[in-house]
Amino acid sequence: MQTRTLRLPRFLAGGRAALLVVVALLILLFVLGASVSDRFATTGNMLNVYEQSAGLALVSLGQTLTILTGGIDLSVGSVISLLSMLTSGLIAGDEAMVIPVVAGVLVLGALIGAANGVTIVATGVHPLIVTLGTGAIVQGVALLYGLGPVGSVPISFDAFAYGTFPGGISIGATVALALFLLVSFFLNNTRTGRRIYAIGDDPHAADLMGLPRRRILVGVYAASGFFAALTAVYLVSRFNVGQPYTGANYTLASITPVVVGGTMLAGGRGGVIGTLLGVYLVSLLNNTLNFLDISSHYQLVVQGLVIILAVSVYVEKQRGLA
Amino acid sequence: MTGTSPIGMAVPAPRPGSADRIRAFASRYAILLFLAAVVVAGGLAAPGFLSGSNLTNMLMQFVPLGIVVIGQTFVILVRGLDLSVASVMATAAVAATAFGGVNADAPAVFATAIGIGAAVGLVNGLLVTKRNVSPFLATLATMIVLQGIRFAWTQGAPSGNVPPIFRTIGAGTFNGIPYNVLFLLVVAAAGAAALHLSGFGRRLYITGGNPLTAHLVGIRAARVTLAAYVVSGVLAAIAGLVLAGFVGVVDNFVGRGFELDSIVAAVVGGVALSGGKGTIAGALTGAAILVAISNLVVMLGLPVQAQIILKGIVIIVAASFYVARRR
Repeated sequence: MQTRTLRLPRFLAGGRAALLVVVALLILLFVLGASVSDRFATTGNMLNVYEQSAGLALVSLGQTLTILTGGIDLSVGSVISLLSMLTSGLIAGDEAMVIPVVAGVLVLGALIGAANGVTIVATGVHPLIVTLGTGAIVQGVALLYGLGPVGSVPISFDAFAYGTFPGGISIGATVALALFLLVSFFLNNTRTGRRIYAIGDDPHAADLMGLPRRRILVGVYAASGFFAALTAVYLVSRFNVGQPYTGANYTLASITPVVVGGTMLAGGRGGVIGTLLGVYLVSLLNNTLNFLDISSHYQLVVQGLVIILAVSVYVEKQRGLA
Repeated sequence: MTGTSPIGMAVPAPRPGSADRIRAFASRYAILLFLAAVVVAGGLAAPGFLSGSNLTNMLMQFVPLGIVVIGQTFVILVRGLDLSVASVMATAAVAATAFGGVNADAPAVFATAIGIGAAVGLVNGLLVTKRNVSPFLATLATMIVLQGIRFAWTQGAPSGNVPPIFRTIGAGTFNGIPYNVLFLLVVAAAGAAALHLSGFGRRLYITGGNPLTAHLVGIRAARVTLAAYVVSGVLAAIAGLVLAGFVGVVDNFVGRGFELDSIVAAVVGGVALSGGKGTIAGALTGAAILVAISNLVVMLGLPVQAQIILKGIVIIVAASFYVARRR
């Protein structure tokens, strides 16, 4: 009964319509790119687009969850930076340290996220402010740990970012894809998943229904921290080393695919599949602009316009600031 | 500041009893007391902190942030947020270098900067009011677009100078008092008058405090909101010129970090993100606290990284304090 009443408004709110818009944009971009260059619509280039989506995909997955609850996580960039430094700093070239350090970093990411969640529910302060604050603290710690690249990783560590399955299919991007499908299943088919939507849709009603809102919020921010940690590991795999500003751009970048994919900042509507398509859209957009030989300066302009276009098409449910 | 709330309604008198009265006083002036505590503690811990030259130095750093915070306050009062201010600052400063760099160009430079700020504010405001886009996303998008336009225009590195008069306003002093402080005082007085004395200010507080009430009493909330974004854009552009004059060189990142710092300062100063609550004086006090703490970190010889960590702690503690007080 409960799931039925929750599902209906979400469907009517245009979750599917948003997906159609993104798919239409993807097709449009593909046609545009294909008409510009013969090398665009090749398997090799598409695998390239797929591979380059991995980092943004991982961080946006966690961001989608916080936004679904009506919150936001502005600490992800700093968390990625600090944890990337800890990954390469603690592994320090030692093959034997890889597994314990990566496991430790993932746990630490989840703990930092949980601390965000606990602070949000304990103080009642808007998540935007809380995570802005914790983000600053984590960034400060990262800069205390080192002002430049720290440590190193064994050569084989690049398998996550550059390794491929037979056929040249990127391992990292496929791991991200699998996680999206897993989280999508979780959101749509488990009680906790449905409750995440319920909390975002109407926190007050969620409280009246007796949902464990605080516990779920802590869990959601822990998940965001975990996915930020996974992004950090991925970026170390890609660049061989962690740096204090590796994650800086990911804070705001992680929000773009979420909103382009139809998840409302007000919470309660959207989903991770939209975000995944949003990530592919950003990745394909950058690739297309490269083929069009448009300078990276204009790529920024286009990215901003895409955000405006997307959020102007989906009518936001106006509530509060975010 | 006075016994009336910003919209002119009488504030209930604190219950008699000296303990209650002290508590009420401490609660109302908490932010000023906190600033005083920081200043006193700083003076005791770091001898150079209260020296004339260091105070002048802090004031000069305070001015550009102060101007931006005033605009940010207008926007937050109507339940908004302006992430584009830093981008507007840099764009105004870069545009200022496109002229001849002589004082005769100053009016043109000033007009161009204000035009840029007003245009960006207008776009932000229209997205928020006409398209119902969340302020966070609308101003994030304009920030990104503006950054791209600036990079494309400058091809990476701007050349040219701002007219010398801006250097004087930004960095010059008159008997030890920086010119730019006088400038800020004028802006703050105008902003405070607009918010606390004019009909526009009253409509702004009602729109932010309770949109339904605003609608019922016939306030055109969309127009008020739009105006708030334009004010923020214009003040950010002016702050960009002042900061460019203070620093002396213009690059693509003039004002970097001001978008978040201005929000932090406003929140620390008691401007509520939920709208309708806060004053210019409070927001400026918040900005002063940020500047004092950053300066103190340097004066105490602490690692510079401590500045960001302290900033993070201060905003969470301050915001929790306000939320707890409002309950």
